Amino acid sequence: MVCLGERGVCLEKEVFPVKFAVVEKVLDLARANSIWPMTFGLACCAIEMMSTAMSRFDLDRFGAGVFRATPRQADLMIVSGTVTKKMAPVLVTLYEQMPSPKWVLAMGNCAISGGPFVFEGQYNVIEGVDLLVPVDVYVPGCPPRPEALLEGFLKLEEKITGKRRFPGPESRW
Amino acid sequence: MVERIKAELGATLKETPVGEADYRERGYHLFAEVASADLLNVARFFDERGFYLAALICVDYKEYLELVYIFSNHASLCKVKITLKIDPAKPVAPTISTVFDCAYWHEREIREFFGVSFDGHPNMTYLFLHEGIDFYPLRKEKIPVSDEDKKALGAFRPGEGEDTFFVNLGPQHPSTHGVLRVVLKMDGEYIQSADPVLGYLHRMHEKMAENRSYLQFLPNTGRMDYLGPMAFNLGYVTAVERLCGIPVPDRANYVRVILTELNRLSSHLMWLGAYLADLGALTPFLFVFDDREEINDILEPVTGSRLTYCYFRFGGLYNDVDDAFVAGTRAFIERLRSRFSLYEKLVGGNVIFTNRTRGIGVITKERARKQAVSGPVLRGAGIPMDIRKSEPCAAYGEMDFDVPVGTRGDALDMYQVRIREMENALNIIEQALARLPEGPIMTEKAPRKLKPPKGDLYHTVETPRGELGIYIVSDESDKPYRMKWRVPSFSNLMIFPELAKGNLLADAVAILGSLDLVIPEIDR
Repeated sequence: MVCLGERGVCLEKEVFPVKFAVVEKVLDLARANSIWPMTFGLACCAIEMMSTAMSRFDLDRFGAGVFRATPRQADLMIVSGTVTKKMAPVLVTLYEQMPSPKWVLAMGNCAISGGPFVFEGQYNVIEGVDLLVPVDVYVPGCPPRPEALLEGFLKLEEKITGKRRFPGPESRW
Repeated sequence: MVERIKAELGATLKETPVGEADYRERGYHLFAEVASADLLNVARFFDERGFYLAALICVDYKEYLELVYIFSNHASLCKVKITLKIDPAKPVAPTISTVFDCAYWHEREIREFFGVSFDGHPNMTYLFLHEGIDFYPLRKEKIPVSDEDKKALGAFRPGEGEDTFFVNLGPQHPSTHGVLRVVLKMDGEYIQSADPVLGYLHRMHEKMAENRSYLQFLPNTGRMDYLGPMAFNLGYVTAVERLCGIPVPDRANYVRVILTELNRLSSHLMWLGAYLADLGALTPFLFVFDDREEINDILEPVTGSRLTYCYFRFGGLYNDVDDAFVAGTRAFIERLRSRFSLYEKLVGGNVIFTNRTRGIGVITKERARKQAVSGPVLRGAGIPMDIRKSEPCAAYGEMDFDVPVGTRGDALDMYQVRIREMENALNIIEQALARLPEGPIMTEKAPRKLKPPKGDLYHTVETPRGELGIYIVSDESDKPYRMKWRVPSFSNLMIFPELAKGNLLADAVAILGSLDLVIPEIDR
């Protein structure tokens, strides 16, 4: 019996205690190179997310330009903005509606930690989306530049396949 | 006009005096305090004279709560502040939503943030907040929300009916441009009623303003309206400068105009792309982002950021512009002018687009006034009102431009008004560049620590979406006592339910797009 596991195809242990490592690797490679993000703009970062997908930065080069308006066809949720307490249940529902395997990218300081909207006596902001759903990649910035989001996508690819496809940026410091 | 209103208002109020304020200092001409029994009469008084309710503000002075009604006029510059004191222990006020429709939304907002209930208001339920919040957020003391109040506030249930069903447009929907939710009651494909539910991106800007100094709040303005942050920056710095009496050098004023207009272009371009994407045409989206990137290339070296600019300072600018900026802007003007003919061919002359938008979402002048819409939506409805003309800040007074207006008031008119506004913006930038004076960009008289004198100010500027009103109450400390943002998108959204009623669901998306909403600005 073949079933779709959390991160790849595996055979049920009771029947065949075998894992097709090669098949899984091939599938991961396919997944990493055609990530379908969800059209889920929350705040300011959504505009930079759109810029990333548009002509100059061209997210399609990395196979990730197919933004889906429904969570049921998407496998990456880019949390691009501040998550408020009113939005939190909606966000969790959307995450649950996505089919596995699925990933979450926290874009911007708000999604990472609440960003500039954390102060004493704040009553409406979730201080980090990782309190709600598991996050795979964090892209800091307020908002992050499109290049940073592209790097986030490459990091996600690296996480899925275990191998980096493009050389990383040179460290200047 | 001011004299006439003063005499007539005095005659109506009889007992309470009508005061005259220094407009340059306060931002309103007349003020009066009324008793709650008189409020409805006063509202009718202004309604009969063609005023609109620009803002409804609540301020908590601890001993009493004060409701501030700002009435303004499209035809001539005359602003009146009406205040009503209410008891904080038993906060009740009469509603004026029967006279001014836009008060319906403002009163709901005040209900949940201050706990003031309005007598005779049909629907006192949560608009921004939800049951999870235990205290009235903007009260100065911690006043808990009682269980009864929570129950009453959470009572929003869309009414049931035979043969109808509900569609939730949002909060995750590509054509609401963010996290707006509209509960639509549908009869087949036709909309029976529309109820916007806000607050999915309520980021507590007004609360934050009370917690930090004037300068520390400056970056927030860029995050409120992420498409037109320059105009919000401009509004805030000019408001504080007006409050503290800080002079601004000429060069800074001209640079402010150039940058605000560049940002207006980028905002309108974004609207153009997103609106057409809503209507099913993705190609313009790619084109406008190309132009937007050009604007970013110009602005980024000067301001240091691509999106949430924080460039203006009290008394000047953060950074001077250089020759490369001037040359880049001139080149961009040429480029965009040549692109307009392309957009005209692609969009304006496209029969699918024009037939799709003509005759839907028609706003009459009367409805526009009652709902206090502003900006391109108001001008699309045929009222030539532009704050850049009526009370120019920065160097707008020296610029020569016309105010485009629509004739039909439909979605197509909103498109045409915005396109002509973009052409105007190019003309303004060209004029400002030609006359850009040399000199310092920062005044030497700016105090290190701002402590504005006691008092309030209602200051307005024209943002890409319309009238932005900032109401600041200062208590002589370095933090604002209360800061209220009267945001254009909030007011423009208010007219959506009546526009959507009786229309097809597909047209509702086209109408919503024509209003050009930015959600963080609505939710603040």
